[in-house]
Amino acid sequence: MTQTIEPREFASDQAGSSSPTDDVFAPTLAGEAYTSQDIFEQELVRIFEREWVYVGRAEEIARKGDFLRADVGRESVIVVRGRDEQIRGFLNVCRHRGARLCLEQRGNAGNAIRCPYHAWSYRLDGGLITAPNWEAMASIDKAERSLVEVRTEVWNGMVWVNLDDDAGPLADYLQPQVAHRLGDNLEVLERYDIANLVVGKRVVYEVEANWKLIFENFQECYHCGTIHPELVEAIPAFQASDTSANGYDTDGYYFAEGREGFTLSGKRSLPRLPGLREDDDLKYFGMTLRSNAFLSLTPDHVITHKFEPISATRTRAVCDWLVPAEVAASEDHDLSDAVALFDAVNKQDFDAAEWCQPNMSSRVYRDGGVLAPAEKLQISLWYDWYRDLMARES
Amino acid sequence: MDTAAGDAGVAERVRVGLLADLRLDEVAVVEARGRRIAVFHTEEGVFGVDDRCTHQDAALSDGFLEGCLIECPLHASFFDLRTGEPSGPPATRAVATYPVVDEDGELFVELPVPADGGVS
Repeated sequence: MTQTIEPREFASDQAGSSSPTDDVFAPTLAGEAYTSQDIFEQELVRIFEREWVYVGRAEEIARKGDFLRADVGRESVIVVRGRDEQIRGFLNVCRHRGARLCLEQRGNAGNAIRCPYHAWSYRLDGGLITAPNWEAMASIDKAERSLVEVRTEVWNGMVWVNLDDDAGPLADYLQPQVAHRLGDNLEVLERYDIANLVVGKRVVYEVEANWKLIFENFQECYHCGTIHPELVEAIPAFQASDTSANGYDTDGYYFAEGREGFTLSGKRSLPRLPGLREDDDLKYFGMTLRSNAFLSLTPDHVITHKFEPISATRTRAVCDWLVPAEVAASEDHDLSDAVALFDAVNKQDFDAAEWCQPNMSSRVYRDGGVLAPAEKLQISLWYDWYRDLMARES
Repeated sequence: MDTAAGDAGVAERVRVGLLADLRLDEVAVVEARGRRIAVFHTEEGVFGVDDRCTHQDAALSDGFLEGCLIECPLHASFFDLRTGEPSGPPATRAVATYPVVDEDGELFVELPVPADGGVS
């Protein structure tokens, strides 16, 4: 992909530049940013092959040989638990004739990653072991034909991959994002001990909308009073018109009077997470974790969203409700009330994204729309990240 | 490699090395009569087998040892080192086994007397 997208194609100063309401609104991206397959493919290269991408939970690959597969940018990647317990990522490409090595989304490779085509076999650390008719090629340098490793790191039990060998460490990438949300309360996150939670419930949503519509939506609560009746009943601050307009409340958002849990019913259905303090109770924190995740903290469970951009007009969302392993395993604890709340929110958000998607190609939206005052701050910051990456040479 | 030819009718012996140098769950490979023999140190003892899967020509010494079973690196057939029998497809034929003797801490593989009675 060599074509250069000039930043002005996405630039804020182009859309609605002659409008007298400039000081009220901020522009969105132009319509084609949500519809063009060409722009989508550039995003794969310039964003998802350069930035850290969340691919799954470490406990999903708990045993030696466990793997999960993810599409990252234009590549298929496998993340594998080695015989030494270490997690490594590789391009899912046999060095022989290019076949995909792991054909399933997840599984156990056993002691070796074996190509299904000619059985070239690789250790779980990527090294080439052998291949049929090895005697005829025993003189080769195995290292040259070993799997291509990709940067893989784990943060709070979340496994991330980066296809850019020059990228900085994952913690340096995520820390400022968390700090943006939690401010001086950064140590709050540690008390949730997310590394030791497990997936209690997973729901996968196939959304007929561009991934950016979903990201924009999560970064404003201007819509909450209209489409999320259950959510605003749980957290009244979310229908305050200026919520998030001046940045996030770094103390989190408190539940409504009388509500004990982040559940549909408002009742507490799960035990408080063991590391939390009394004053961590009864509140919610939500944040985006670029490039493709959201993180929501509640007193008794943590919610992660992972987004897989499929095409310009399709996105897969994977939502996990994380709880301590003993809670997930216990029949005394029922996650359904907790799941019901954010599952409803998810469906409402994704419906809204699907209301917008078809009109992104309308002549009305050619130059984009506007961000209302309550939406401007967070989304504009996110646009800065987006535009900066898209303007850089690949 | 040291070979110690025995009396007529007694197997040819090939020196593997010191037992102390072959740690548990490790493998040594010796060559004799143009074949490679893999010698595995398991909890049940030391076993020698042809270092070649009977399905395709992969070296079993490149495989994965679990107890007395060696897993072929290519297609994951297991062979029982005690009998040579495969666990299941794609391998269907047993791999040749060779007795390994321990003489005062020194290991020798015993090869059968060739069909022509000579020693190669």
